[in-house]
Amino acid sequence: MFLSIQYDSTFEGFLSAVFEIYRQHLEVGEIRPDRSAAPADMFLQPFHIETSEESAARLHRAIVNFASEEVYNLLHAAFLSEEEGVEMKIFAFLKKLFSGADPSYGQNPASAEMLPLYKLGQSVRREAGGMLGLVRFAVGPDNMLCAEIEPKYDVLMLMEAHFSKRFANEKWLIYDSKRDYGLFHDRTGCQVVTLPGYKSGAMDLKDSFTDLWREFYKSIAIKERENPKLLRRCLPVRYWNHLPERSMATAVT
Amino acid sequence: MDVREKLRILSAAAKYDVSCSSSGSSRCAPPGGLGDACSAGICHTWAADGRCVSLLKVLLSNACKYDCAYCVNRRSNDVPRATFTPKELIQLTIEFYRRNYIEGLFLSSAVIKDPDYTMELLVKIARELRTVHRFGGYIHLKAIPGASARLLYEAGLYADRSSVNIEVPSDKSLQYLAPEKNFASVYAPMNFFAERKLEYKASVSRYTPSFLPAGQSTQMIVGASGESDYQILSLTSGFYNKQKLKRVYYSGYVPINADKRLPVLTTKPPLVREHRLYQADWLMRFYKFRYDEILDEAHPNLDLELDPKIGWALRHPEMFPVDLQHADYEMILRVPGIGVKSAQLIVSGRRFAKIRLEQLKKMGVVLKRAKYFIYHPDTPASLRRLYPEMVRPLLLPRPKSGQLDLFGNTPLALPA
Repeated sequence: MFLSIQYDSTFEGFLSAVFEIYRQHLEVGEIRPDRSAAPADMFLQPFHIETSEESAARLHRAIVNFASEEVYNLLHAAFLSEEEGVEMKIFAFLKKLFSGADPSYGQNPASAEMLPLYKLGQSVRREAGGMLGLVRFAVGPDNMLCAEIEPKYDVLMLMEAHFSKRFANEKWLIYDSKRDYGLFHDRTGCQVVTLPGYKSGAMDLKDSFTDLWREFYKSIAIKERENPKLLRRCLPVRYWNHLPERSMATAVT
Repeated sequence: MDVREKLRILSAAAKYDVSCSSSGSSRCAPPGGLGDACSAGICHTWAADGRCVSLLKVLLSNACKYDCAYCVNRRSNDVPRATFTPKELIQLTIEFYRRNYIEGLFLSSAVIKDPDYTMELLVKIARELRTVHRFGGYIHLKAIPGASARLLYEAGLYADRSSVNIEVPSDKSLQYLAPEKNFASVYAPMNFFAERKLEYKASVSRYTPSFLPAGQSTQMIVGASGESDYQILSLTSGFYNKQKLKRVYYSGYVPINADKRLPVLTTKPPLVREHRLYQADWLMRFYKFRYDEILDEAHPNLDLELDPKIGWALRHPEMFPVDLQHADYEMILRVPGIGVKSAQLIVSGRRFAKIRLEQLKKMGVVLKRAKYFIYHPDTPASLRRLYPEMVRPLLLPRPKSGQLDLFGNTPLALPA
């Protein structure tokens, strides 16, 4: 009987699941994160795998040995897309990688299994990079900077290093309200926090500089060159909610 | 006048400067300070015209003593004038930066009194940001033509990037449109920076401070005077090769002043031409094209209907179709529809397996254009030679088909 492998939705959890699949010679029908709301396949038997840091680390080492650290990071990025079925795509790649049939398989970015993951990983990284500019802090109590984001992919942890370096001497919080967790930095280090019962929009505070920013934004547009299509392509509407300079525009249209 | 009013006037006065990038510098956050620079550059928002905004782009002052025909801030225009105090500008920069609105400051200014006086003010603000406020974000400082070497040198120590705008692509037109300026006065600071940068690069000590880590850029107005694209590209190519500029920006002329030396006020900005020039610029910077390959004396202007890469390919049918399995990387780069990323993927992927058509599609190659220019095992015999006169009409954008007008007397266009 084929199994529906369940894990705790983290990358470590996924790696442990793959590790156990190899160790116990399991027959896999699908790999599902426990956050998944899709109806279960009735022909598959559910099988839960506990996350183990040790086995995740061993699988990490194996991927680096067979391919490279770069490939490991790419798989991680593709995993963060949270796309349905991405686990099976990564598993298919790993199966072929570990089969050893083609020793140079790990180096080929254009293989049938790697190419879709490569593309997916790139779009995740693209969003993580774009998001660095789209976080809007508001100055909250105790001079703390807080921001809310709702990215398409789970990119918050990819942004940690950038903001820790840039605002090393500030207290700040970036909260992903779609996935209900945030990053809190208190001048010494970062930690992951959750705010139970958080209501979206509670961090979009305003002050005089928000107004000045809107004024600036309005006055730099050149009327003769207006191009709404280009604007939407560069700055998709799904981000406008948390941008003070665009949120007025959503209210109007 | 309050800060809000000043910000409105002085950012509107700076908006015709198109330079927007915040890339090229990887300055670290100073200890105990605020901000760093990201070498890839970060866009923070996009204006209604689709241009990215990454820096707080303002003028220090718009009270100009010059009278350049193409400029909003010229002496003879009746516009509200304003000047920031250094304190206001520094506070704006830091507070915007803390809220992650911007990557840094882009500071330019109209010429007040004389070039040295203006440059002194600009440098003072950059110095205060870097030393007093320990600001590590990006600073783009305009160099004022005619400023003394001492001030330019100091600007290079504090700024990440500097720029002097050439504005008009030929010396004759520049002197005609801007009587107080000429090419020599613009080239002087550019060459000064380029030479200093070379000197700094030669010294290998890790204690050497960084001097303009993100280099220089410039901008020219397209469509205000009669230069051909060939002249513009040859000027650009000189900037990239001799002055080692990082970027050259083109700005399609938006008629803002009624002046008999300029196109009339109702002219539309030449947006397509500007776009084609940027495409040609990209070909020079990332695709290893020389300017005289893109255009020549016989074809002095870019084709507005087709991009310059297709233009080159159609003029050189003997180079195509390209065999993706064996051709050099440089040649694959030259195939229309294949970009830098796909070319790299092809080159690294073909070592392991044959590259087939459907794989190209998955890589993101634009087959609509590329299919006429590549050779692969599945190519039909009819496409094994490139006939430009046959391919050109296939590449042109199709006119949109709409509902026919019952009472119009336009003849029906039958498919050929």
